[in-house]
Amino acid sequence: MLLAVQHLQTWFRHRDQPIRAVDGVSFEIERGETFCLVGESGSGKSITALSIMRLLPAYSVERLSGDIRFQAADESPRDLLSLSESEMRQVRGGRIAMIFQEPMSSLNPVFTIGEQILEAVRLHFPELSEQEAWERVMQALRDVQLPDPDTRVHSYPHQLSGGQRQRVMIAMAMACEPDLLIADEPTTALDVTVQREILRLMLALQQRTGMAILFITHDFGVVSEIADRVGVMQRGKLVESGPTQQIIQRPEHPYTRQLIAALPENLARREAHDVKPESAQPLIRLSRLEIHFPVRKGLFRRVVDQVRAVDGVDLEITRGEILALVGESGSGKTTLGRGILRLTEPTAGAVAFDDTDITRLDRSDLRRFRRNMQIIFQDPISSLNPRLSIAAILTEPMKMHGIGADRDERLSIARELLKQVQMDEESLWRYPHEFSGGQRQRIGIARALSLDPAFIVCDEITSALDVSVQAEILKMLLELRRQRGLTLLFITHNIGVVEYVSDRTAVMYQGRIVEQGRTEDIVNRPQHDYTRKLIAAVPRIDFQSPA
Amino acid sequence: MSDRSNAGQSYWRRILGQTFLRWGARLGLAWVAVLALVGVFAPFLASSFPLLLSQQGQLSSPVLEYLQPVDALFLIGFLTLLLLMPWRFSLGRKLLLFLLTLGGGALLVYNTLSPPKLVIYEQYRVAEAQGAFDWVIHAPVPYSPKDYQRDRGDTGLEAPLSQDRRTHWFGTEQNGADVLSRMIHASRIALGIGFVATGISMVIGVIIGGLMGYFSGVVDILGMRLVEIFEAVPTLFLLLTFVAFFGRSLYIMMVIIGITSWPGFARYVRAEFLRLRKQDFVQAAEAAGLPLGSILFRHMLPNGMGPVLVAASFGVASAILAEATLSFLGLGLVDDPSWGEMLNQAVQSSRFNWWMAAFPGGAIFFTVFAYNLIGESLRDAIDPYLSKSN
Repeated sequence: MLLAVQHLQTWFRHRDQPIRAVDGVSFEIERGETFCLVGESGSGKSITALSIMRLLPAYSVERLSGDIRFQAADESPRDLLSLSESEMRQVRGGRIAMIFQEPMSSLNPVFTIGEQILEAVRLHFPELSEQEAWERVMQALRDVQLPDPDTRVHSYPHQLSGGQRQRVMIAMAMACEPDLLIADEPTTALDVTVQREILRLMLALQQRTGMAILFITHDFGVVSEIADRVGVMQRGKLVESGPTQQIIQRPEHPYTRQLIAALPENLARREAHDVKPESAQPLIRLSRLEIHFPVRKGLFRRVVDQVRAVDGVDLEITRGEILALVGESGSGKTTLGRGILRLTEPTAGAVAFDDTDITRLDRSDLRRFRRNMQIIFQDPISSLNPRLSIAAILTEPMKMHGIGADRDERLSIARELLKQVQMDEESLWRYPHEFSGGQRQRIGIARALSLDPAFIVCDEITSALDVSVQAEILKMLLELRRQRGLTLLFITHNIGVVEYVSDRTAVMYQGRIVEQGRTEDIVNRPQHDYTRKLIAAVPRIDFQSPA
Repeated sequence: MSDRSNAGQSYWRRILGQTFLRWGARLGLAWVAVLALVGVFAPFLASSFPLLLSQQGQLSSPVLEYLQPVDALFLIGFLTLLLLMPWRFSLGRKLLLFLLTLGGGALLVYNTLSPPKLVIYEQYRVAEAQGAFDWVIHAPVPYSPKDYQRDRGDTGLEAPLSQDRRTHWFGTEQNGADVLSRMIHASRIALGIGFVATGISMVIGVIIGGLMGYFSGVVDILGMRLVEIFEAVPTLFLLLTFVAFFGRSLYIMMVIIGITSWPGFARYVRAEFLRLRKQDFVQAAEAAGLPLGSILFRHMLPNGMGPVLVAASFGVASAILAEATLSFLGLGLVDDPSWGEMLNQAVQSSRFNWWMAAFPGGAIFFTVFAYNLIGESLRDAIDPYLSKSN
């Protein structure tokens, strides 16, 4: 037994009642195994990890109790909660290492990566000579397969890509040969292809060194790729734990069942998936669309180069269909979505809506035209104006476009919209900060619908949400499109969502559409090399194979 | 994080509520409120003219007869504020209405009120001593700020409460005028210069900063150069120069302090607008085809006002200090009392008269301190990183 957590309780101070972030969690981790903690946001999985590391600020913790028994390689077991702060420092980094979600903010921007790893090495192995310590740093960087480690060791964090930075973080954690590696959503901020490489790397390192991994994630795909055993957390409690296959195929607890049923892969397939829309006339037609951002330098801000975010895209979206646009970060998919609405000015090419070329409209015509096409955003926090009530948010665009004769009529339309997105009509008189992320996203959808548009761009609308909320929003969106005959451009990086929601899929890579076609064909029989790589990298949950 | 207790409240209600939860801000606001009341009702609080008297059964109010147009304007402004407070208008509309009534009131007051040109402060005092009135109601401080009490002989530099026959709570200055009365009337200048100068610089700063932030590019480059030029101008020396050229005027002082201190506001607003432009709700407003005016003033400005208001409360404090400095140097108003000028008087006397330094100095200190307290709390309330859940 490497780590045995018994009845861990972490309570935070809050007005009169403490918040029970972790409330009586018990689990064990064996040497060399991977234990996954899964749960939705706010379930207390990160707090569990921070409690084990004792990294929580003392002033906000009201209670930290239980028993965390940790037995390092050749020592007797110790209770981490009763260690002194200086003993704990020996354990942190030395025996238990931790890596975080955001690799940019967890590296210090003013030191080279070599210096940062060296510091950790010297702290935990003070007996090593300069030469030996440096050799260890280089070995760690080679172990994590950082390309060209001899020059990269002198780079600063900002000179590396997200995946490379996460490799450096792992190298730093591994350099001290810990017995336990705690990884808190280490791949959530990364693209799927990079995620796959990092996961493989962690498994390879684990096999070589025999360390245990406590892996925290919200993604069941990742769980089924790497975990030996899984613990499911809900509101501070561990509701179920057991071997991975057993949890995924035969979940016992109702919450686990509900979570697994909410995965896009498990949502009921729509029968009308490949019903061809009756009119072959495309609603949106992009021809040779280019959006470039100039790179300016020097005193006179001369244009020295162009970033070709969208580089000659031809695309047609048929009336009534849902086209999914997939691609990794930086592929230009968000820019394309905004370019179609002319929120970002296209550099060249044409965007035709029915027969109108939007790129040729002048300012006031464009403003009137905007009611035909709307957008829903990714971030539910910043997409609603915090100073306006929901009533004002919904009715102001209607007023501008002359929908509804007077205020009362517009308010009743707004009430109707809220009902359609399954919100209480009382919500009209409240402000955005009073709603949860999922509710805000519903309001965002209601705002887009308030102008009764024919076409909506959905820009990663579910990627900030938990799976169960995501499932509800997706179902609702499909229902709305059925009722209103909407045409949607659905931008996402989640292949599971694409499969569930879309009729056709276009794959974007470096500003170009590399492949497009029916979603089934793209997902099951990808033609282009990049699509193949992308689809293969998606972590798949194995529901069928025997336990 | 949604909270039951503040359901249905607008953002500004919440922020102000949080600001004035802090005792520092409450003290600051209380002090400013006292100053404002004292300033508005100064002619009734400290005046040589009786509030009401009866002469052979005939009632008359000398204070009203001698009421200056400025005094009346202050009263009108105060009454309008009081009347507007409970109405459910938006803040902007209230401000507009207030300014309109003030403008209308100014026209009315300056055309109708014509107080006697010749002012003899002691006339009622002398008449009362001769027993000409049935009864007299005096102001709480029965001396006007420029009443040198010539009828009573040499009354200069009396310490507080040193004379039995006449009470001077804060003593008198070298000409024999009552210090408390002068301080009461000077509180208007302190408040007025703070609000007007900061108002001018805020309006200029928000407009220029907003344009820089929204349009960026060339507008931004030119605007920033303008900001840098104005930041390089030393306000105090510009003020000294203007006083030398155009004589001493409160209004010129307000305008100059106003037009030299806007760059700070412009910087704040520009930074906020640059940040807000990228926010999804601004993009959504644009995608909904809302006109530029609505995007700028309804969706962006209220979200960017937080830092500006914080800067404004510090700005009011520094404007008051600037006026006090100038008056202390003897370049302030000629005859009207101001706290800085009273400090100057304290220094000019051959021996140290503590009451002439302590009271005006304390008033300046507390006023600047009060605004800083308010600014500090406002900043804490707006800063999301400091907002506590408990």
